[in-house]
Amino acid sequence: MKKITTIAASVALIASMSYAKEVKIGVVLPITGPLAAFGQTSNDGLKIAYAQNHTLKNGDTVKLIVLDDRGDKVEAATAVKRLINKNHVTAILGEVASSNSMAMAPVAEKAKTPMLTHASTNPRVTKGKKFVTRACFIDPFQGAIQANYAYDHGYKTAVIVTDAKQDYSVGVSKAFKKAYEKRGGKIVGRVIINSGDKDFNAQVSTIKAKHPGIVDFTGYYPEAALMVRQARAVGVKAPFIGGDGVGFPELIKIGGKAAEGFMYSDHFDEAAATSPVAKAYVKAFHAKYHKATDSMGALAADGYGMILAAMNKCKDPTDKICVNTNLRATKGYQGVTGVININKNGDAVKSGVVRVVKNGKFAYLTTVNP
Amino acid sequence: MDISTFVQQMINGISLGSMYALIAIGYTLVYGVLRLINFAHGDIMMVGAFVAYLAQNAGIPFELAVILAIIAAMVTGILTDKIAYKPLRNAPKISLLITAIGISFFLENLFNVLFGGVPRAFSAPDYLTKIIHYDGIIVPVTVIIIPVVTLILLFIILWILNKTKYGMAIRSLAFDIPTVKLMGINADIIIMLVFAIGSALAAIGGIFYAVSYPSIDPLMGVIVGLKAFAAAVLGGIGSVAGAVIGGFILGFTEIVVVAFMPDLGGYKDAFAFIFLILVLLFKPTGIMGQDLDRSRF
Repeated sequence: MKKITTIAASVALIASMSYAKEVKIGVVLPITGPLAAFGQTSNDGLKIAYAQNHTLKNGDTVKLIVLDDRGDKVEAATAVKRLINKNHVTAILGEVASSNSMAMAPVAEKAKTPMLTHASTNPRVTKGKKFVTRACFIDPFQGAIQANYAYDHGYKTAVIVTDAKQDYSVGVSKAFKKAYEKRGGKIVGRVIINSGDKDFNAQVSTIKAKHPGIVDFTGYYPEAALMVRQARAVGVKAPFIGGDGVGFPELIKIGGKAAEGFMYSDHFDEAAATSPVAKAYVKAFHAKYHKATDSMGALAADGYGMILAAMNKCKDPTDKICVNTNLRATKGYQGVTGVININKNGDAVKSGVVRVVKNGKFAYLTTVNP
Repeated sequence: MDISTFVQQMINGISLGSMYALIAIGYTLVYGVLRLINFAHGDIMMVGAFVAYLAQNAGIPFELAVILAIIAAMVTGILTDKIAYKPLRNAPKISLLITAIGISFFLENLFNVLFGGVPRAFSAPDYLTKIIHYDGIIVPVTVIIIPVVTLILLFIILWILNKTKYGMAIRSLAFDIPTVKLMGINADIIIMLVFAIGSALAAIGGIFYAVSYPSIDPLMGVIVGLKAFAAAVLGGIGSVAGAVIGGFILGFTEIVVVAFMPDLGGYKDAFAFIFLILVLLFKPTGIMGQDLDRSRF
C-alpha cells in the first residue's frame, strides 16, 4: 500500500512539475582543490541568496546546477560546455579565480550565454566580451586602494610579491606599481612565486635584504599564510598588504601570529553593511552558519541577485540574449556588497573596503569609494 | 648580495634539498625492487601527514601521532600493493605505472571527499619549530633535524639492504623475481616489506614537510612527489644515495634561481627540470646510476 502511495505521489509531482516552468542557472566554482575556500564560501553565500528568493516574477522556479572545477582552468571550461550543451542553462555564475574565468569566458561568449563572474577582478576577464559581466570591481581599483592606503599610512617603499601563475596577481601587481609610483612611493624589489609552492625561504630572504616599508602580496591565501609565516621567521618586520585573494580564515589559521596586521583590500565587511539587503543577508548568514560573513559569499549572492533581476525584466526569462542585455544594463542594483553599476565594459563600479587581521580576526579599517 | 643573505640562502637550499631527499629515498627504494615508479608515493606522504594531523586533533601527543601516522601509511602502502599491484605482477610494466597513477588519483580524491580541499593548519611541538638566531642568520631547527634524519634513515636502509637476510632477499628480488621464488623465498612477503618501508619513509617525509610548511591539503603530495621523483631520476633512480644527492641538487637549483635571478623566480621549476634534462642528456642513468640493468641500490 505504501508503495502505491509513493508512486501516486511521484506521478503527481512529475505532473505538477511539467506545468511550472523551470529556469536553470549554471554555477562553476572551485569547491575542492587549492582554492577550495573561494568556492565553498561562494557557495555558502549563494545558498543564502537562493533560500531568500528562487521564484521569478512570472512564477517560474529557478534551479541552480553547481559544478566543481577543482580550481583547474581546463575543468572550468569543460564545466561551462557541459552546462550549456547538456543542462541547457540560461545563464552562468562563476568563477572566482580570474585565470579560470578567462578559460570559461570564450566558451560562454561563443554559445551566446550570459556569464556573470561574481569575484574575478582581472580586467581581461570581460575585455572585448559581449556576454561576460562581473559583480565586483577590477584590479586597477584594487591595486590603487592598496597603494594609496600604504602610502598614506607612511609606508614609502615597497616590495611586490607576484604569483606568476595567476592572472589576478599579475594584474594587481601592475596596478599597485602604477598607483604607488604615481603617489611618489618607491618599489625597491619584486619577487615571484608560483601558486602551489610552499617554500618561500629564498624569496623572504631576498625581501629582508631589501628592507622595504611594506610588502604588497598580490597572490592568494594558501601562499600568503605560509609566506608571511616564513617572512616573520627570518625577521622581515614590514607589514603585508594584499588583495581580496587573501581574506580567508585559513590565512589566520595557518599564518598564526605571523598573520597579525596583514591588511587587504576587499569587497565587503559586515561592519560597513548598512542597507536593508545587506542586513538581511548578514542576519540569515549568521543564523545558518554561525560564523562571520565573507566577501566571496556576499559577491555570489549579488551575482545571483543580478541574474534574477535581469531575468525578471525579460518576457521569457530563458531568452539568453534578453537576459544578457539587461544584465549588461544593470544600474543602481542594491546588492549586499553595495550599489552596483555596470559600465560599458561589463565591469562593476562600486566601493571597496580595507580590512586587517587583528587579534586573530578580520577587522574593518575603512571604505574606499571609486 | 651581502654575505649574510648569501649564507641564509645556502641554508634555505639545505632546508629544501633535504626535504626532497627524504621523500626521494622512498621513491627510489620501490623502483629499485619492482621497477615501478610508484606515483602514489606523494599521496601516501599526504596520508601520513593527515593521519598525524587528525591524531593530534583527537588529543594524541605529537610523538604518538607520528607513530600512528607511520603505521597508517604502512598499512596504506601494503593494501595498495595487495589490491592494485599484486594482480599485475606479471603484466607489462606500463599497466603497473598506469595503476600507480590511478591509485594516486584515488587517494587524492578520497581525502578530498572526506576532508575537503581547504588547507588545514598543522601544529607541531615547539622543539621542532624553534628558530636559532646566529649573527643575523636565521636557522630553523628543522634545517638541522631533517638532514640528520635523512642520513640516519639512509644508513638504516643501506644497513637493511646490505647486512640483513631480508635485505639480501630484497636485492635478489631486484634481479630476478622468478628465480628468487625458486630459491624458496616468499617474494610477496618481501615485496610487502619493501612497500612498508617505502610508505614509512613517505610518512616521515610527509610529517617533516607538514612541520616545515604547516599547511596540509589532499593535493599536497602532487608537486612535492613530482619533485622527489625528479630528484630520484637526477641522482640515478634505483640508487638510494643518488636520491639524496639528487634531492640536494634540485633544492639548491631552485633556491639559487630565486636568490640570484629574482625576475626569473617564476621559472624556478623550469630551471630545475632543464638541469634534470641536461644531466640525463650526458648521463642517461643519472648521477649515481650505473647501467640500468645492473644498478641495484
